[in-house]
Amino acid sequence: MKYLRFPEWVNVLFFLTPAVVLYIIFVIYPTLGLFQISFTSWDGISPIKLWVGFANYKELLFSDEIFWQAFKNTVFWAVISLFLNVFIGLVMAFLIAEPIKGKLYFQLAYFLPTVQAGVVTAIIWRWMYQPDGVINSFLRAVGLGIFTQGWLGSFNLALPALAIAGSWMSIGVNIVIFLGGIQNIDPALYDSAKVDGANRIQLFRHITIPSLRPTITTVTILTIIGSFKTFDIVWATTQGGPIRATELLATYMYKRGMLEVQYGLGCAMAVFLILVVTIFSTLYSFQQKKEV
Amino acid sequence: MRKYSQMRWNLIPIYVILVITSTLVIAPLVLTVFAALKSPEQFLYEPWIPPRPPVFQNFMSAWYKARFNIYFKNSVIISTIDALLMIFIASMAAYAFAFIPFLGSNLLLPLFLAGLMVPVPALILPLYAIMNSFNLINTYFGVILADLSLALPFFIFIIRAYFLSIPSELRDAARVDGASEFRIFWSVMFPLARPVVITTALLEFLWSWNDLLLRLVFLTKDSLRTLTVGLLFFQGLHTHDVGGNAAAALILAGPVIILFLIFQRQFIYGLTRGAIK
Repeated sequence: MKYLRFPEWVNVLFFLTPAVVLYIIFVIYPTLGLFQISFTSWDGISPIKLWVGFANYKELLFSDEIFWQAFKNTVFWAVISLFLNVFIGLVMAFLIAEPIKGKLYFQLAYFLPTVQAGVVTAIIWRWMYQPDGVINSFLRAVGLGIFTQGWLGSFNLALPALAIAGSWMSIGVNIVIFLGGIQNIDPALYDSAKVDGANRIQLFRHITIPSLRPTITTVTILTIIGSFKTFDIVWATTQGGPIRATELLATYMYKRGMLEVQYGLGCAMAVFLILVVTIFSTLYSFQQKKEV
Repeated sequence: MRKYSQMRWNLIPIYVILVITSTLVIAPLVLTVFAALKSPEQFLYEPWIPPRPPVFQNFMSAWYKARFNIYFKNSVIISTIDALLMIFIASMAAYAFAFIPFLGSNLLLPLFLAGLMVPVPALILPLYAIMNSFNLINTYFGVILADLSLALPFFIFIIRAYFLSIPSELRDAARVDGASEFRIFWSVMFPLARPVVITTALLEFLWSWNDLLLRLVFLTKDSLRTLTVGLLFFQGLHTHDVGGNAAAALILAGPVIILFLIFQRQFIYGLTRGAIK
């Protein structure tokens, strides 16, 4: 490959300088800074950044029970999101792919919540879940009054309840991704299976799922990454409560790092977050390479 | 003929499932619109049905008393500047990565793509320190710079892919005519990339409009707050005012719902690719 001579470098500088300068100052530099601060006991204000080695990491991993609670909650959030976003998303896409009328309407309906802000979702769903809210009123109306409760006040139900609200605002994207995948499956596969007398569930299990394996892996990984970034919807409803039942890694990091100004500790948590996301992102890029 | 009618019968359970689930998905939004358009008395007696007649007092009090007019203005300013700047910065970088074989491009491009992996919440603490040292806390400019930088990798990625899909003859022809690199970008490639440029503008506007965390951390003065932060504090103060919360949420949600209904295709194209972000 022939590289440019000097005068043409002016072009490169012209095209790339804005992006590169922004990226270095506001992404690369803070990412490196994150690792550095995580080894200090900095409070974010004082000029002294006392080097404490791995003390923050030790505290998190070995003596901070809330950190592990937040980690467990985040994993639980991911599991619920996987069921809804991947499994239910796939089923919905499979159904929309059938020769039905109103495909566009259904797609838009599932997609509409995905353009909502996390705070908007939070407000809408807090009302759904309130003791005198939509869901309880509905339960009472259909004679299931015994199941009514303060959903977000319940230690056991608050987390799944919020994860459902989270999936409400993300499932639409997955349905469209899956639908694209299903439409790329060779129709001859379905036709020959139908000739053999396969029913719809068999078609789904033996043709749709195997053919979409790469897409399913992709959506799975993206859903897991998304769980580790979740902040808005929890912060605007329960702020991690009741008693840490909905504390996620991102909310706990914000509390310790920003609100309690324990920068060093917060940054150690952020490093942990980046490591988890990087592992899954690497899996994702391997997956993408296989697909090409 | 028999075969066709058989197939229709076959589809009925699917229609039933799709109609029920899509109704359940849309219902929270519809009920929110209903609640926003009712006075507290109307809401007390008829919470679930359409408002008769619709009243706008919830919107009025959010807009004027709760200062959502100011938050709205702040959101519009920040998100519009974000979208406009992103178009140019990302498409210029994407152009260089797509067409100019400069030394180091095979190192710089992966470095940008690695940025796709960085979870924004993780960067909040060091970003705050940087903004603080540049005196950019409580400025529009600080939030805009952070928005642009964090979303750049994604947009460079999709615009570059689009550029590479444009037949190279067009660029070569301009080249032979002696056009400068900038002219080729501005008069040939940029107009040809219009679909992806529109997607970029819409998506960056949406992400910027909906973002809470960066604004919560970088904008602490009430007069600078955006709708997301304003809404967060509003609901904290008026927890039990369902109509008020609904109206406040719709001031934030309304514009993006309208944009989405106008530009469905671009949003769906962008967001399915943006799932990675």
